[in-house]
Amino acid sequence: MPPRIRLQPRVLRLRTAHTSNIPLGATYASLATATTPAPSVDQIRAVPPVLRYPPTQPPSHKPPEVRKTQLHRTYQSVLKSSPLILLFQHNNVKAVEWMSLRRELATALQKVDAERAKNGQSGLIADQIKFQVITTSIFASALRVVEFFKPEGSAVDHAQEATDPRTPTSAQTSNEVEDEVFQHGLSRRAWEVASNKKLKSELEPLFAGPLALVTFPAVSPQHLKTVLSILAPVKGRFDAPKRRTTPSYYEPEVQLGLQKLMLLGARVEGKVFDTEGTHWVGGIEGGIDGLRAQLVHMLQGVSGSLTGALEGASRSLYFTVEGRRMDMEEKEKGDAPAE
Amino acid sequence: MITRFLTDVRVKFNPFSKRAKPARLFLSLIPPNARVDGMKIETKMLPRTSKEPATLDVKFKDGKEMKLELEKMRITEVMEEVDRHSRVLARKEELTGN
Repeated sequence: MPPRIRLQPRVLRLRTAHTSNIPLGATYASLATATTPAPSVDQIRAVPPVLRYPPTQPPSHKPPEVRKTQLHRTYQSVLKSSPLILLFQHNNVKAVEWMSLRRELATALQKVDAERAKNGQSGLIADQIKFQVITTSIFASALRVVEFFKPEGSAVDHAQEATDPRTPTSAQTSNEVEDEVFQHGLSRRAWEVASNKKLKSELEPLFAGPLALVTFPAVSPQHLKTVLSILAPVKGRFDAPKRRTTPSYYEPEVQLGLQKLMLLGARVEGKVFDTEGTHWVGGIEGGIDGLRAQLVHMLQGVSGSLTGALEGASRSLYFTVEGRRMDMEEKEKGDAPAE
Repeated sequence: MITRFLTDVRVKFNPFSKRAKPARLFLSLIPPNARVDGMKIETKMLPRTSKEPATLDVKFKDGKEMKLELEKMRITEVMEEVDRHSRVLARKEELTGN
């Protein structure tokens, strides 16, 4: 019977860094008893912190795989990325009507973009203006997080790879949801802040019933004007397109859908506007450039009137003094013959 | 809610007031084909600063008019009020065999 060779997988394991440390004599397979080499100095050092989650998915307070949670996250990003949001109530709008409304909106916005491109203006955002139905209560909650949860201080630096042995042991990582280092919108901390009932947002009363949003990636009064003239036309200010130019707007589906949409208000760069305010924003001529021109014009007017006012004081002083001098001269003349 | 017997609905509310909720929910309860089937629906949006109470005027097929002050009502109460007369009309319709 051949001698049985006792193989220990631990000894046979490939060790690139430590092969030089092991004396050659110990490599006899037949003599290999349970002599595990003592851990070398660089083996003893502390274990680097390990993140138990992918860097892009920090632990969330509510179960992350649920649709509600993902909707919440989506709405937060919608709120953060769109400075101009129009809020509509939709009363039982049918799918066909939604489809035709979106089609009309898209074609009208494409026309605006074509016009802007022709004039050499930038800001072609027609493709990014979305008309979407939202889940009201989840949107309300997401709005509270966006408005009231303002994280400060150092967050977990997810850029550092915690599984990399070069990561310092002092690196701040955490795998607990309760930890305050998490500052994303779905964190426990965000939830706590947003569930404080004492904080009231201005939009709160609007969150009842079925809602739909029109989101703009930039505040562009020209695009807003087009959207208003399609979805909430007002005679005189936001005229609906003419039947001659766009006959498709007068199809029954579009018109029926329009009757069921109500413009409630708008959120422009964090401020809340009602219908009138929205119309005012949409009525700004020429967008931001137009506003700048108005401001320059106004300032010019101010400077003109300011120089006028300053001049006026000295001029009136001059007139007074001059008048007094004439007066005295006349008196002197009057006095002279009497002597 | 029974909406078959409504011919005319007028709603006036300020969306930024908390009391506008029943008015808005009432509108969302009207079926999608109501306007095609001849119901007249008028909504008037008040400006944000207005303190006017939300009102709902409903006309029925038999000519009865109902004016509801929505300030102190919940949507279930509004539905009850409207349904009370609608049920009478439904019963009449059933008895005459139409």
